[in-house]
Amino acid sequence: MKKSLLFFLFIIPGIYGIAQLKPVYAFQQDDTVLKKKYYEEALQQKKFLLSSLGKEYKDDYKEIYENRFEEVADLLKSSRAVTSPEAHGYLQSLLKRIVAANGELNQLPVRLVFSRDWWPNAYSMGEGTLVVNAGLMIFLDNEAELVFVICHELAHYYLNHSDNAIKKNVERVNSEEFKKEITRLSREEYRVRQQVEDLLKKMTFDTRRHSRENEAEADRQAFRFMKRTGFDCQAIKTCLQRLDKVDDSLLFKPLDLEQVFNSPGYAFRKRWIEKESVLFGEMTEDDSPLTKKERDSLKTHPDCVKRIAWLEDSLAQSGEGKKFMINEELFKGLKKEFVPEMAEQEYRDKDLGRNLYYSLAMLQQQQNIPLAVYTVARDLNIAYESQKDHRLGDWFAAERRGLPPDYNLLLRLLKRLRLEEIATLNYNFCKRYEARMTGYAGFEKEMEKARKKLTD
Amino acid sequence: MMIALLMSPGIIAQRVSIENVLKPFKTDFGAIKEGTDVKGYYFFWASDKIDKNTYEWTLRITDVALKTLKEVKLQDSKEVSILESSFNGTDLILLFYNDKERTFEYQVYGADGKKKFNYNRELTKKEERYLEQSYLATDDDEHTYKGLYPVERKGFISNMPSREDKDYTFQVDYFSTEKRKQWTYTPTMGGKKFIGDYLGTFNGVVYIEVLKFASMMDGKPESSIVGLNLETGKQIFEKETDSKYRFYPATMSVMNDDKGYIYGEYFDAGGNIAKDKSLGFAFWGIDDKGKILSEKYLSWDLELGKHLNVSSKGKIDDFGFMFLHSMVQTNDGSIYAIGEGYKKTASALGIISQVASGGRGRVSTMKLKVTDMILIRFDKDFNVKDAMIYDKNSNNIELQSGMEFVSTPLLGKLIKYNFGAFDYAYTQTNKDNSSFTVTYADYVRGKDYKGSTFNSISYNNGKITTDKINTRSDASRSYVLPSAQGSVLLLDIYRKDKRFEGHIERLN
Repeated sequence: MKKSLLFFLFIIPGIYGIAQLKPVYAFQQDDTVLKKKYYEEALQQKKFLLSSLGKEYKDDYKEIYENRFEEVADLLKSSRAVTSPEAHGYLQSLLKRIVAANGELNQLPVRLVFSRDWWPNAYSMGEGTLVVNAGLMIFLDNEAELVFVICHELAHYYLNHSDNAIKKNVERVNSEEFKKEITRLSREEYRVRQQVEDLLKKMTFDTRRHSRENEAEADRQAFRFMKRTGFDCQAIKTCLQRLDKVDDSLLFKPLDLEQVFNSPGYAFRKRWIEKESVLFGEMTEDDSPLTKKERDSLKTHPDCVKRIAWLEDSLAQSGEGKKFMINEELFKGLKKEFVPEMAEQEYRDKDLGRNLYYSLAMLQQQQNIPLAVYTVARDLNIAYESQKDHRLGDWFAAERRGLPPDYNLLLRLLKRLRLEEIATLNYNFCKRYEARMTGYAGFEKEMEKARKKLTD
Repeated sequence: MMIALLMSPGIIAQRVSIENVLKPFKTDFGAIKEGTDVKGYYFFWASDKIDKNTYEWTLRITDVALKTLKEVKLQDSKEVSILESSFNGTDLILLFYNDKERTFEYQVYGADGKKKFNYNRELTKKEERYLEQSYLATDDDEHTYKGLYPVERKGFISNMPSREDKDYTFQVDYFSTEKRKQWTYTPTMGGKKFIGDYLGTFNGVVYIEVLKFASMMDGKPESSIVGLNLETGKQIFEKETDSKYRFYPATMSVMNDDKGYIYGEYFDAGGNIAKDKSLGFAFWGIDDKGKILSEKYLSWDLELGKHLNVSSKGKIDDFGFMFLHSMVQTNDGSIYAIGEGYKKTASALGIISQVASGGRGRVSTMKLKVTDMILIRFDKDFNVKDAMIYDKNSNNIELQSGMEFVSTPLLGKLIKYNFGAFDYAYTQTNKDNSSFTVTYADYVRGKDYKGSTFNSISYNNGKITTDKINTRSDASRSYVLPSAQGSVLLLDIYRKDKRFEGHIERLN
């Protein structure tokens, strides 16, 4: 039970496997030598950590550090980590500026990378690997906001939050009190589930409370780091405000499926996306059996509004700073480039629903049109083949509460389309763009595939 | 440990996984349906022991993509189970049965996910008897109980047969979900045996097919359609279905002309349903006063014989007789009848049994064989336009001695209601009737795969396609449940691991 508890406490959200696919789109050229260097550094660091472990709880620490390294290795060995000279170099320039202004960071071995992951997040693995997801970068407004994000993750690392949390929890699950409780529970016949749940809940609440305290502490430390860089500290506020409302509609206008798929040869059917009665259709978002206090206790992060309020006084005295100090043009360029990069990563991670969603959004916004058209054709062909093989669910998520409404409509459409309707829709979609796509690698092949499926 | 700026996304999958199930084979689950449309699922399992007689039960309600919408824990007797669920477009009803107390509890949940009402009732002795001899007598993992029907956005109809020794009757209950209101209908006319089949609710009228038998051996039961007022439960009309023929309606459908149609087999006037062959199929249009608006009779040898090789006794070569499962009308006006074949054949087991016991064997010398699926296309006036047979593996059912003398059409009803041996599963239509999917189970003994399959015949915009998925798994038991049209939920129970795994698959 102890092992499963450790796993429960340290579980890191799963990262999808890499699909065996041959894309036409080429990512920005990554620096593979650099990736290998980072990987070797992380490996050596892990080896050193394991060799310096004391006897106490050695196996537990080893398991956690091995798992952590696997996560880092997965990132660095996959196409997820961005090490292309331009993007990576830009990030290092920002890091250099921060470190130069904060001497205490000089000795910290940091590996800071962008990832091509779509979800708006940044994180510190606790052993020097810091990651800013493309899904976060595309929402940021200026360099100063990105600097705050980096400072926040650097602060976690600098303050040793991750290792402290690991130590605390390993010691807890190995404590006499905890072991006694586990032994007692293993002998109980009645109300075992409830008691185990209560025990886990107590531990989780405690861990999450520490996590929230760490976040607040990291924000304060990030402010101290940032203040010395000359960047505008008001960006902390605007960044947190943005994160509070982060949503794809900030980037794209909602998808109009009828507009993107309607064609002279095949009219879009409203029934494909019509609303149906749903179970508990008026249920509020949160129908958790937990009390509000319990729900709040489960949060890993304080609310953004609270985070802003805690820094308000400091921000008022922070003085003036700049929104851009390194390369405004490059910052804006990367934001644009990251959309297709992120979309393509979703394709490689086998989340075709999201890949299709971003591609249709680009098409509707008249951005990267050839790539978007090609991707839509390719995805619909895969949808056809996977549906034929009863595996549509492996590639496309299902409509559910909490997703953007227009994304849900797309997922609904895919669920309702019959096999021959996918083929007809795709072929007519390709026909619409045929003239504009002449010479685009892969498109003709996808169109031909779609045509053949009409008579399958 | 990863320290992040914000939280990360969750895993997206159309899967369900339930662990730490105390009694995996005693778990209840089912599709929550609105008509033929699946809206979600319920799972009800024992999650903890509270004391010697009490379990902690977990009830999980998911949407059709298996995302949990609600999960509640309750402490109740070990003898509690959920027999059935239904959804009427806004509200959900769950029928709990307490085997110890012999009580039914109907729990109604509103669109906001909160419990709205509870309707409780104690079972009569006759109802207990029926349950004991039917649902509870069989292994309950078959999940064969079916007695709750939705009335769109208004409430639910419960149709419950009951039995005491040789007396049969039935009870119809209505549970409103608009306000706390309930009525009960039981037949009051004299008779030894009643069978009441709920046909449907249309324009505020509840239609019930009632068969009244004068005695247990009565082969000519009186058949009538009874119409009840949905609001009050009061009888509005009773219409006998004997006219120029003896007509036994089996199902009701509302067609695109917004009229209700009842349909079933018909016999010669004065015919004996236990012995005689049916003449064919009849379709009656009926209004809310019980007035018959149209009658259409399709005989085996004339209308159906033109399209299939049907003998005058209703027998189709190799296919046998046809049992009509369902009817749907598509948006182009065509009507499709979905049926399944069955026939009597000699039973080697029965013959050996009879020879060995000098004719006193309990197994009949005849057995039933369930054969292929059939799809018959009619125009909007019920003229046969086309018929297609879909091959599948046949099932054999050994009959009890003496049943060789029961008429074949009546055996069809026995296959459906007593043996549950038809392979047909269900039919689903989409909202604008531009497509429907018929599903059935089969078994394949192929080079690459040997095991059970789940099959579909789909109609979409005038085109018919077929498909199948393999359902064999390494689980202790596996089930196929309906899902959104064209999809199924494959559910596996792993007894040793005390867990459930389920995932959605699409049929084409």
